[in-house]
Amino acid sequence: MADKEKLSIEQILAAARNKDGGGAGAAPASEAGPAETPKPAAKAAAPAKPGKMSVADMLAAARSSDAGGEAAESAPAAPAEAKTAAPAKKPGQMSVAEMLAAARGDKSGGAAAAKPAPAKKPAAAKAAPAAKEPVAAKHTGPKDTTSILAAARAGATKPGPITKAEAAARAKEAGADPTKKKSAAPPMPTKPDYAKVAAPAASSSERRGFMVAATAIFAGTFFMTSSLAIGFSSLAVTMLLWVLGFARFMFPNILTEPPTKFKVGFPDEYAPGQVATKFKAQFGVWVVRYEYNGQPEIYALQSVCTHLGCTPNWLEGEQKFKCPCHGSGFYKDGINFEGPAPRPLERFAIRVADDGQLEVDKSRKFKEEVGQWKDPASYVSV
Amino acid sequence: MHGHVSYEDFILQVAGFLTAYYLFVAVMNAFAALYLWQSGRAKVLLRLPGSGLAVTTAHVWLLVAGVFTILSAYATNGGAAALSLPAAMREAADSIMGPVVYTVGSLVLLAGLYLGRNFFVKPTVAWAGLNLSLLLMGLSMTDMDFASIVMKPDNVPIVAMIYLLGYFTWLSAYKAVQNDERTARGEVPLEKLDDEKVLVWPDLVYTELICMIGLTALLFVWAILLQAPLEEPASSVKTPNPSKAPWYFLGLQEMLVYYDPWMAGVVLPGVVVGGLMAIPFIDFNKLGNGYYTINERKFAYCTFQFGFLVLWVTLIVMGTFLRGPNWNFFGFYETWDAHKVEALNNVDLSQYFWVDLLHTGRPKAPDGSSMFWQIFYIIKREIVGIGLLAFYFGGGPPAMVIYSKFFREMFLRMGFVRYMVLSNLILLMALLPIKMLARWTVDMKYFISIPEYFLNF
Repeated sequence: MADKEKLSIEQILAAARNKDGGGAGAAPASEAGPAETPKPAAKAAAPAKPGKMSVADMLAAARSSDAGGEAAESAPAAPAEAKTAAPAKKPGQMSVAEMLAAARGDKSGGAAAAKPAPAKKPAAAKAAPAAKEPVAAKHTGPKDTTSILAAARAGATKPGPITKAEAAARAKEAGADPTKKKSAAPPMPTKPDYAKVAAPAASSSERRGFMVAATAIFAGTFFMTSSLAIGFSSLAVTMLLWVLGFARFMFPNILTEPPTKFKVGFPDEYAPGQVATKFKAQFGVWVVRYEYNGQPEIYALQSVCTHLGCTPNWLEGEQKFKCPCHGSGFYKDGINFEGPAPRPLERFAIRVADDGQLEVDKSRKFKEEVGQWKDPASYVSV
Repeated sequence: MHGHVSYEDFILQVAGFLTAYYLFVAVMNAFAALYLWQSGRAKVLLRLPGSGLAVTTAHVWLLVAGVFTILSAYATNGGAAALSLPAAMREAADSIMGPVVYTVGSLVLLAGLYLGRNFFVKPTVAWAGLNLSLLLMGLSMTDMDFASIVMKPDNVPIVAMIYLLGYFTWLSAYKAVQNDERTARGEVPLEKLDDEKVLVWPDLVYTELICMIGLTALLFVWAILLQAPLEEPASSVKTPNPSKAPWYFLGLQEMLVYYDPWMAGVVLPGVVVGGLMAIPFIDFNKLGNGYYTINERKFAYCTFQFGFLVLWVTLIVMGTFLRGPNWNFFGFYETWDAHKVEALNNVDLSQYFWVDLLHTGRPKAPDGSSMFWQIFYIIKREIVGIGLLAFYFGGGPPAMVIYSKFFREMFLRMGFVRYMVLSNLILLMALLPIKMLARWTVDMKYFISIPEYFLNF
């Protein structure tokens, strides 16, 4: 610090910070003497300068405070001088303005230190050695930014943002502190009479009444614990209702299809080998009188291709069902023979009703590939 | 054009179109000649002896322009009917044309173009090919059946896209051949010469803006000129005949004819997507990055063009133009007859084996037998198909390694897993045309047919 003219900005800032540290370091001193201030420099400045310093002044002050700090080492009166300030602030919570003010005050402090200081009040003198030591130690230390940062880190409380782990550690420390107040809920008000659980009646429903009471007590305790519990419980109930509603939605209350049973006329209306296409538009059915495995039968074929579900056409000229989508072809008995259809057409149940008419029941289907066409319900013998 | 229009009326309608069409081709050639002449790129074809006058390509295209102009004038003056292919020729084309001829023919044609690419990509040759195809198209337009298919509003953009695809395929092959010739001479590819950065703004953004405006204008013209292809109201019991998917799915619809729905509609498209995703892990060839080349990436180029042009584009063309009512196959000049009878009696492999070869019935579980025995009999019934496919997929990859030097090197380079992925993808890709040919030639329905459990392959 020999060359006072060529202080770098870092050094100036460091000096200003050191003043802050000096203030903090003075804190224990204030405990020793309640009458004294832990913030000496700040308040000392107030009377000296009414707060109208230029930036140049402030920088100069910072520089001289540097010098003043060094001077303080040799002149123990410097902190004592500071004790003249009015008692005020907590340490460690300085605003920028206060920091600047401290810097300013130090200027005068430095000036005071320059001349031989007369002895001050006894109280101040008592606190002086305590306050002096940390301040002096700080000021004699290295002045570069890294060391200041290191020093700050080495401190018990780190300024600036902290990690969660640090916060937890600090909270733990604070918890260990016996002086820290524990937040305790106020005692619950005594329940009014109407809220008290009635004593179980000594009747036949005693057992049941006990259960109701237990449940009520349990639920009451639970809900009083937290409003979130109420919220989540309501949400769960709502969601449950919603799921139930959705399940109900899957079974609509309407009938979209025509009746599954319908009459298609008398068996003798069908000539041998005839394919009736007149029910296709309304019911999606061909009624065919032909044969299967040599047995003459009347059966009802579903007009849906077994490939991808298009509607095939009956081609009278070629005597086959032909699907326009991918060219699948089926014989008159419904067996697939060309194109990609993997299975024969499907049959619907058919029977002779009481009035002698044929009745097709679309609710039952019969597949040839699993041998269901042998089922007597799938055809009517003629 | 539902057969209600008489041929005379049809010719009158088509004459106006042909006039404009031939005139367009003439102007196109005139511009080409002008460009060659002015840019000095015209090649001297021969020098007339005596006078020393040079006949260049510009002269040729000017002459072609003149011929098309005359054709245009001829078409508009009642000569359109004469401007058509001979009826005998069209009938011969129809009778020859079938699924096998079409598919194998396109494969042979594309292979020929690939092998002779050094010749076919020459601008003069390619331009001559374009002129020939346009002339053939014009001559075919006087055929009612051809015109009704090609001029269907649904199909017009597909015709345009065929030409667009041809152009882009030619362009890439042209640049690739140029680069390959340069590489053979020890020079760097053309793209490396001009390695300058192109900026997004303004270069790319302006290009995109101009394309946007141009496309919008095109859509306006298209919407005004071509009526929307609306069909009759939908009915659950009346399926349109033929019932066709959107054009880009027609390849898939054609695949559906040969495979079980879940195989052709779910598994194979999934394999296509998965296979495309696997390319970066299979392809170890680092050449061809940032420039066009064929010689340095022959395997990748051929595989892609086979999968795209043969297995996708030709199937779309077939589905669009050659599949008529009841999904029957029709030639280019054939009337779409809804009652055309075609013997497509498909037979499963198990039927061939058990019934036709061994003359026993197909194995069938006795009635009321348990689940286990039913499955046992099903597997016994389909054992030939299962064995065949197991042999194909299990024996194919090692056979390729043993018999092909190329695949042997690939196996050593790639390792077992990557090689198996690659070889199985290729075998699966090859199975599609194999299955199609088997269907067309020997009426093969399914190699494995288990309709009881919806398992058909």
